[in-house]
Amino acid sequence: MLIELESVTKIYNQGRANEVKALDRVDLTIRENTMVCLKGASGSGKSTLLSIIGCVFPPTDGRAAIAGKQLSRMPDRFLTIHRRQTIGFIFQQFNILPNLTVLDNITLPLLPLGISPKERRLRAMPLMEKLAITHRENFLAGQISGGELQRVAIARALINNQPIILADEPTAHLDTRLSQQFMATMADLKAGGKTIVIASHDPLITDDSRIDQVIGVKDGRVNVP
Amino acid sequence: MASQIIEKQLNILDYSLSSLWRKKLKNLSVILVFTAVIFLVASFQMITRSLTSAAEDALVYAPEITIQKLSIGRQESIPLKYIDQLSAIFGIRQITPRIWGYYFDENNGANYTVMAMDTTVMPKSSMLSQTLREGNLPGLTENGKVAIGRSVLKAKNLGSRRSLSLFRPDLSLKSFKVSGIFNEETDIMTNDLMVMTMADARDLFAISSDLATDLLVYVSNPAEVATIARKISEAIPGTRVLTRQQIQKTYRMIFGWRSGFASVCLLTALAAFVILAWDKASGLSPEERREIGILKVIGWETTDILAIRFWEGLLISIFAFVIGCTLAYIHVAIFEAVLFRPILVGWSVIFPPFRLPPGIELGDLLLIFSFSVLPYLASTVIPAWRCAIVSADSAIK
Ligand SMILES: Nc1ncnc2c1ncn2[C@@H]1O[C@H](COP(=O)(O)OP(=O)(O)OP(=O)(O)O)[C@@H](O)[C@H]1O
Ligand SMILES: [Mg+2]
Repeated sequence: MLIELESVTKIYNQGRANEVKALDRVDLTIRENTMVCLKGASGSGKSTLLSIIGCVFPPTDGRAAIAGKQLSRMPDRFLTIHRRQTIGFIFQQFNILPNLTVLDNITLPLLPLGISPKERRLRAMPLMEKLAITHRENFLAGQISGGELQRVAIARALINNQPIILADEPTAHLDTRLSQQFMATMADLKAGGKTIVIASHDPLITDDSRIDQVIGVKDGRVNVP
Repeated sequence: MASQIIEKQLNILDYSLSSLWRKKLKNLSVILVFTAVIFLVASFQMITRSLTSAAEDALVYAPEITIQKLSIGRQESIPLKYIDQLSAIFGIRQITPRIWGYYFDENNGANYTVMAMDTTVMPKSSMLSQTLREGNLPGLTENGKVAIGRSVLKAKNLGSRRSLSLFRPDLSLKSFKVSGIFNEETDIMTNDLMVMTMADARDLFAISSDLATDLLVYVSNPAEVATIARKISEAIPGTRVLTRQQIQKTYRMIFGWRSGFASVCLLTALAAFVILAWDKASGLSPEERREIGILKVIGWETTDILAIRFWEGLLISIFAFVIGCTLAYIHVAIFEAVLFRPILVGWSVIFPPFRLPPGIELGDLLLIFSFSVLPYLASTVIPAWRCAIVSADSAIK
């Protein structure tokens, strides 16, 4: 199993007045090369679940194994290194730096790996071609359209050839046509061997026939059909 | 592997540079304030150094004791007969009379300091010739010769001429041949100076041959100065007996007051700088937080993120430091510390208008460095560190 959660609990601000139990004893397994959707109302804990799968922070309690590594009590530094080798993120707000060029945004994860500018561009070229943004290479990210921004975010999530792609409400800011285009790209990536987890309550995604499994999230608990 | 580490640091440095460039307006204003503070502090430090060392230099030639005659609280000429009266005091090596006063040149409104004494009795008198750019001091009996400072040369418009005339009190002219010119390094003491023989000075100021301006007392054993000074004032009442230590103290007091005033100004500048740094330290802008969060979540380690801020801070502060110090040097060396003149005005009581050779000491520069560059670095790196150690998720909400 690529992703294996066992009785995972996540408590924000533990021990303080604003303590929140966002995940409550979650058991979840996701096989390699599947496309999974986390579906649930706002505040149900989807983003928190994605953060655990994405090695952003370890669970407060329980066991989480991602791509063969146990996260529990892993120091922050190793979590970061494991994350950049394993996980590609696509966020709702895209989280692209508007003052950097498209190329610089896409290759940003490669800088701390000690990869030269020339090599970085070589790696980005085929991705930009595949996602049809080559003509925007030297544009500032703040100056391109939302659909293009989405594709820049996808390219960045793929630049280090990570096996797992996580997307948090990726279609929230896209119209129907672009949302369909996004799903097509994801299906394409799955065909290329990636494992994909999408958190969303957009029916366009949750009802898509290419989704292998829809996992319901409610009040910090999951409901695997 | 090693080349990968270097490449990584180059990547981070490159990112820092472009990041500085993206925020150029903000960074420019920081550099401006930073440079101004460094400039003020460094200018002040260079002037302080050069003034203190000049004052110390001047005292090398000073006698251990100076005797002035007072009448109703004011200094007046002192009779030479006191010399015989004092020679009985044990421990005195030599007593020599000195004539000095101010000569007002009506042609150009300049004031010159005229001085005459037997310079051979000065301590380190052999070094005196080094204070001259050309020629010599007039010898003991070389009447009609004068050594002059550089501003006298200029005020008298001498060019390559080497003679000048001065008026006696009765408006008759007295001519001199210029036998020597003091050099630039001693400007602070010699700029407006005219050194001549005792006989010429008496003639010029119409002072009778049994009087002088003051008496200089040289002592064999420095430990006995206080005792000898006391004995002198007992022997001849109505005199003021100044020891070198007292003169030194006066210099220091005036200087201390001046530098105290200047320090207040500098502290104000520093405070402005601290506020600037604090403003930076106390909060990152939402954009900065978001950037750190994004970098973190896409796999930048905390140390990599700190390295960006470190390079940014280092580049800005080193740049400001170098420019500030260079401008300070130019300000002091070429523009004669023109911005500090109002603070330094009091010095002209002791020293004539002077040219300051800027005093630069490595220690001073290091001190300024550690009170500017280091805090600034801390104020850039620490908030980024505080932000980067919280887990990446809070930044991507
Ligand atoms: N950093 C945090 N600190 C404190 N509480 C948090 C934090 N992040 C999330 N929470 C809380 O945890 C619970 C689950 O939040 P989460 O973001 O995982 O939900 P979600 O399903 O992604 O919701 P949405 O659809 O609105 O994005 C919520 O009650 C939320 O308020
Ligand atoms: Mg969410």
